[in-house]
Amino acid sequence: MTNIRHHERILLFITGVIMLNGILAVSLTRGSVDYSVLGVTCGLMVAFMMVNIVLQKSGHTGDPLFLPVAALLVSIGLTTILRLKPNLFLAQSMWIGIGLIVFLFSVFISRRLEEVTHYKYVCGFIGVSLLLIAILFGVDIGGHKSWVIIGPMRFQPSEFAKVFIVLFLAAYLSERRELLTLATRHYGPFVLPHPRFIAPLIAVWSMAMMMFILQRDMGAALLYFGIAMVMTYMVSGRFSYVMIGLILFLIGSVICYKLYGHIQTRVDIWLNPWGDPSGKAYQIVQSLFAFGSGGIMGSGLTYGFPSMIPEVHTDFIFAAIGEEMGFVGAGAVIIIYMIMVYRAFRSALLATKPFSMLVAGGLAVSLALQIFLIIGGVTKFFPLTGITLPFISYGGSSIVANFILLGMLFTISEVRIYDGK
Amino acid sequence: MKVIADNIRKVAYCLFSLLVILFIYLSYIQVVESNFLATHPLNRRNAEAIHQIEYGMVVDKNGQKLAYSERDGDGFKRQYPYGAITAHVVGYDSETYGKTGIESTFNAYLTGKNNQLQHLGAISHLWTNQVGNNVVLTLDAKLQEVAYKSLGDHRGAVVVMSPRTGAILAMVSKPSFNPNTLNEQWNHISTATDSPLLNRSVQGLYPPGSIMKVMIADGALTEQVIDQKRTINSEGFLKVPPDYVLEEVNRKVYGKINIKEALTVSSNVFFGTLGLELGGKRLAKTFERYGFKRPVSPELQEAMSRLPDFNALGNGDLAQVGIGQSSLLVTPLRMAMLASSFANKGKIMKPYIVSTITDDKGSKVQEFAPEEWLTVTTPQLADTIKEMMVEVVSHGTGNAASLRGVQVAGKTGTAENPHGDSHAWFIGFAPADNPEVAIAVIVENGGGGGSIAAPIARQILEKALH
Repeated sequence: MTNIRHHERILLFITGVIMLNGILAVSLTRGSVDYSVLGVTCGLMVAFMMVNIVLQKSGHTGDPLFLPVAALLVSIGLTTILRLKPNLFLAQSMWIGIGLIVFLFSVFISRRLEEVTHYKYVCGFIGVSLLLIAILFGVDIGGHKSWVIIGPMRFQPSEFAKVFIVLFLAAYLSERRELLTLATRHYGPFVLPHPRFIAPLIAVWSMAMMMFILQRDMGAALLYFGIAMVMTYMVSGRFSYVMIGLILFLIGSVICYKLYGHIQTRVDIWLNPWGDPSGKAYQIVQSLFAFGSGGIMGSGLTYGFPSMIPEVHTDFIFAAIGEEMGFVGAGAVIIIYMIMVYRAFRSALLATKPFSMLVAGGLAVSLALQIFLIIGGVTKFFPLTGITLPFISYGGSSIVANFILLGMLFTISEVRIYDGK
Repeated sequence: MKVIADNIRKVAYCLFSLLVILFIYLSYIQVVESNFLATHPLNRRNAEAIHQIEYGMVVDKNGQKLAYSERDGDGFKRQYPYGAITAHVVGYDSETYGKTGIESTFNAYLTGKNNQLQHLGAISHLWTNQVGNNVVLTLDAKLQEVAYKSLGDHRGAVVVMSPRTGAILAMVSKPSFNPNTLNEQWNHISTATDSPLLNRSVQGLYPPGSIMKVMIADGALTEQVIDQKRTINSEGFLKVPPDYVLEEVNRKVYGKINIKEALTVSSNVFFGTLGLELGGKRLAKTFERYGFKRPVSPELQEAMSRLPDFNALGNGDLAQVGIGQSSLLVTPLRMAMLASSFANKGKIMKPYIVSTITDDKGSKVQEFAPEEWLTVTTPQLADTIKEMMVEVVSHGTGNAASLRGVQVAGKTGTAENPHGDSHAWFIGFAPADNPEVAIAVIVENGGGGGSIAAPIARQILEKALH
């Protein structure tokens, strides 16, 4: 099985070259190469290689695409951050370094993933607590109240909560799956599940609504609700549950829309950004201008004006990529995400136990939904939501949480090959 | 197990389709909508990018700089070495007051935004640095300077062009302004009663007066309402029923004169009669033949001539059109084109002012070739009119334009107008046997064309022919 890790090493080498190329391209247009930036970049390349060697030494046979694809996204993110906010480059590199260590922990802990089923309520409790912390103690940074500040540290609990929520839902649902598919009650045209089954869903739904209202974090609300809905469908196979969920969510949304001004504003901006292009819709209009000015080939790194978009290095980083690297670059990012999502679903299908299958499926869904919500948001395909672009946006919580997620997917992808031997 | 796997597969297909839809939508935004978004007036990216570009130069045909960019703090500032002399042709570029002239019409070239390489994204930066292209004019700065000075303190305009190519060699409008100090003087310039911002050579609309007689002569000969032998008796005035009387200048009595003699002395009675005999329909046809209803060379931003509704004209007005009056209004550029049509065997070349576009290293990016615009008359008739115009300068009203050793063809005009003294006109070309330059001079409220405009034309022609 060393063969797999060998492929991974070659792919990592290629992404390393891409990263170096991007960093050099940005540095050279500024006229001088910052050696600390170059050193850190080489350090990160070495770190990725070392992770590969550790995996090889331990005989891990996880999917060889996960790490290089993540490395590629991280390279694009680092290059863009160096171009947008050079002073955040070192911090982002550090988070990626930490992310890699966390990835290894996640990889090896996940080999004992089945044991988590015994602690499913603990997971659920941690997940809900993290969300509650964000809801109750959230501080508004950059437009949404999803930040928690503890002393010198600040992080976004909702990024981590998704891992725990997925674990909890996977354990809860896989345990009760017979119950869920059989024990149903008929109310007219609707087929409703047993109350015991629907309880956690109601909990997630109300949580999502709370996030929606209190935190103004429509993105996270949609994300968690979506994950819960889709995972329920995976187990029950009943489309009517999804429909009921969607109806509930729509009802909730309409009530919120009527009651709360900020949600109205967001939707109005989405429906007609040209009504107030210099005021409320400024950010999304600037984002659209960035994509339009970028065109097919883009302006070239450092030749665009992405800094005209507020918050460009976090939520709107995709617009910066679209402007300076054009449709070619932005489209490539979507394709890279497609590869990652595909491999995530593939590892779910390779899993041997319902629990790990649901975990991988849930994580894949969270990845895909998050990508869809944020890219759809900045391109005005969807009302704008404040969530990060996995592996690319600036931010420690996002990077670390996504590496944990990746580690779990990585190990789940291994199991089948182990068993097949 | 299997059921869950099947469900996951379905979910995967759904989410994958969402990402594919997103990809297609992104291509719509960045490919189809790209132009709309990139050029949206609220998109400040183009303005920002342009400020950081060193504009190209505007140079005359000999490479004299007429406009160039000089570093000024963060961005660049335009410098105009010839100042007021070329102010209208070259135009100005002000962040506050916009752009005019070549600075406006060829902005895309000067900023380098015409580069096809632009669409290559990052790759384009391998070839293009942030410098725009240079615009090479057909203008001759030295001739322009002479034309500017010879107008003196008069209000008016001069257009000098090559009849064989249509290339504009000089284009002066007075009063002028200094584009280097535009921002400081804007309040004064923009409100002055003598409108220094107006480019009279292409935007000024004037009654042509007697210079129009050369076209009327050609029209009458073409339509065969007269031949070269027929004479008309001028007793100093022409009674036009019911109640209009058209007079010769000073009610001078010329007696029986043919068309050549009539043009030489600029007889109003003779050409008034021609106007009447041609009638509205054939006058309209003649004006149309000479292109007065068609716009020419959009980059020159010429004002359209004003023509009366010929078919509705009474006899008095028809006679007036015959001598270039009535409600007829034309630009100096059109009159230079009229002169050049007889110099160029009846063909009017399309006037143009930009000959080539070069990049910052001097290699050609684009070249503008001379283009034939209209054939207004036969070579024979053009030569006939030319002979008459030679006579005008050698023995007639245009004598003040004559040069030693070079035959000049021309026609003077003294156009009555409601704003005071008559406008003094001169149109012509030289050398008559092998025309190199055609010219139109107008001096607003200057008085007689022969006494005021012809001497100015003489100075300019002398310089143009060395």
